[in-house]
Amino acid sequence: MEKLTYRSIDEDVLRNMFSPSRTYYYLLALCFAGILLGAFCWGYMIATGIGVAGMKHPVFWGTFLINFVFWVGIAHSGTLISAILYLFRAPWRTAIARSAEAMTVFAVATAGLFPFIHLGRVWIVYWILPYPNERNLWPNFQSPLVFDVIAISTYLTVSAMFWYTGLVPDLAVVRDKARGIKKKIYGVLSLGWTGSHRRWNHYGKAYLLFAALATPLVISVHSVVSWDFALSIVPGWHSTIFAPYFVAGAIHSGLAMVLTLLIPLRKIFRFEHLITMNILENIAKTIIFTGLIVGYAYATEYFMAYYSGNVFERDTMIWRAIGNYSTAFWIMVVCNTLVPLLLFFKRVRTNLKRLFAISLLINVGMWYERFVIIISSAAHQFDPYSWTHYSPTWVEYGIMIGSFSLFGFLFLLFAKFLPTISMTEMKESLEPPRRNDRSQSSNTREESP
Amino acid sequence: MTRQNSILGVFSYLDDLLKAIEQARERGMHVETVYSPCPNHEIQEAMSMKPSSVRFFTLTGGVLGILFGVGLVIYTSLQWKLIVSGKPIVPLVPAVVVGFEFCILFSVLFTVAGLLFKSRLPRLGIPAHYREGFSQDEFGLLLLCPPEDRGTVSEFLKAAGAKEVHELPS
Repeated sequence: MEKLTYRSIDEDVLRNMFSPSRTYYYLLALCFAGILLGAFCWGYMIATGIGVAGMKHPVFWGTFLINFVFWVGIAHSGTLISAILYLFRAPWRTAIARSAEAMTVFAVATAGLFPFIHLGRVWIVYWILPYPNERNLWPNFQSPLVFDVIAISTYLTVSAMFWYTGLVPDLAVVRDKARGIKKKIYGVLSLGWTGSHRRWNHYGKAYLLFAALATPLVISVHSVVSWDFALSIVPGWHSTIFAPYFVAGAIHSGLAMVLTLLIPLRKIFRFEHLITMNILENIAKTIIFTGLIVGYAYATEYFMAYYSGNVFERDTMIWRAIGNYSTAFWIMVVCNTLVPLLLFFKRVRTNLKRLFAISLLINVGMWYERFVIIISSAAHQFDPYSWTHYSPTWVEYGIMIGSFSLFGFLFLLFAKFLPTISMTEMKESLEPPRRNDRSQSSNTREESP
Repeated sequence: MTRQNSILGVFSYLDDLLKAIEQARERGMHVETVYSPCPNHEIQEAMSMKPSSVRFFTLTGGVLGILFGVGLVIYTSLQWKLIVSGKPIVPLVPAVVVGFEFCILFSVLFTVAGLLFKSRLPRLGIPAHYREGFSQDEFGLLLLCPPEDRGTVSEFLKAAGAKEVHELPS
């Protein structure tokens, strides 16, 4: 058993900030190469035309939209952990909230690139914004795509503000520990924070309000994303369960991504006593819950298709399971609903390798979920004459690799330059130091296996 | 206004700090600032802090956001009176979505503005009396007193358990 103190928290979190290992730089270089590949493919597409991507009538929403929905989904669990669990006062979120918030910001930023990429003529992206112009033309606010622009921009702004506000007191710790130019840089970044009682009073209230505002926002954002599909009449999309189905799926994939990032992070940065096995186990238990909701949503989609009596809906659902994309469909079902059931077993969810493997499988499954929803419906609509088969081209794969690399690159930079664990919240969760120390037992945490 | 001297006490323990705040206020000393590494409700209670007024900024932002979002939808719809899908010219249901998103956006922007304004941030410098330990594992109590009381206040802080006492120039 190891006793945590204010000082030990600072030392543990800051220890890794300025001295990453060689592996870190290899990973950073790898991610940078991936970004260059993605940028090249995007540049090639702009120069040649959007036809170099595999999208053709009637599948106009290919991997660009799949990745957009995937990354927006990944973002959601960050807000769940940082805001919703904060409101519920779940103490296990403290050590992982900062990384989850960072993940949210980077995932939304990555997601936000895809509508730009998909647009083709990216230089006229501003046409979607409501701005006065000489022809008095305005966006159609009845379109869910316009909702999406507003929702995603709001989500990116709010997540970034929430994240940075939480960072300010920790940046002051870094400023006070650093010397030379670093002290100056972190001094500017910490905005001159001193931790006076008046500032803590305003900070506490603002942080609570951020959490309270981010909670309905996160639910609205993926609901809006789901309406991109649900407000059309395409079989397999036109469904009233899409909003809760997408929100649950988003949190499911995001929690898996949290595990995918945190398990290596705690190992590389030796955070085993801060990000304990108990925390990872709690994430795993939440994944069981979200996995069950996702499984229930899959089953409900089939029931609704059957019970509606709509032949197009029924046909689309049957085709998903046995048609051209049946492999993707069964990957989705197995990875998202059956694999998480293994986490019911304590020996699975307390084994880091198994937990990591399951988190990767859920990530794969959730990517395929978006593939199945988007492609299988778009390629198989009402008129058999226009049924088609879609497969991504190398340009799309390149851009997809670029997006994963960009996300990884941003997260690696975050891990080096900013405190990955909220020192302030960790300290807040401890019994404060007292002359008559009553915290002999309360400030100790279990040693992780 | 009389010149005031600042005396800073640095504490390692919260209970010592709380007792010092309580006694200082009982003796009529002016408690200027209390520093701590993380928010602490006992300090807030000892200082009889009122709830932060940042929440009024949030409320203002929220109301303005709804008005802006709904107003934008109504205004832009009326610029081109084009019937889309047999729906009314002014689409009220979609206006709820846009109004909601702008409500959240403006609330957050106003909250940030309120936090910065009320906290007097950002600042490029930090006060000369600030100790680096305050962000880490030390607590600070800054008292203001007339120059003739400096000795008494310093003795008081030492007796209250301060590990260091600094007399600062006025």
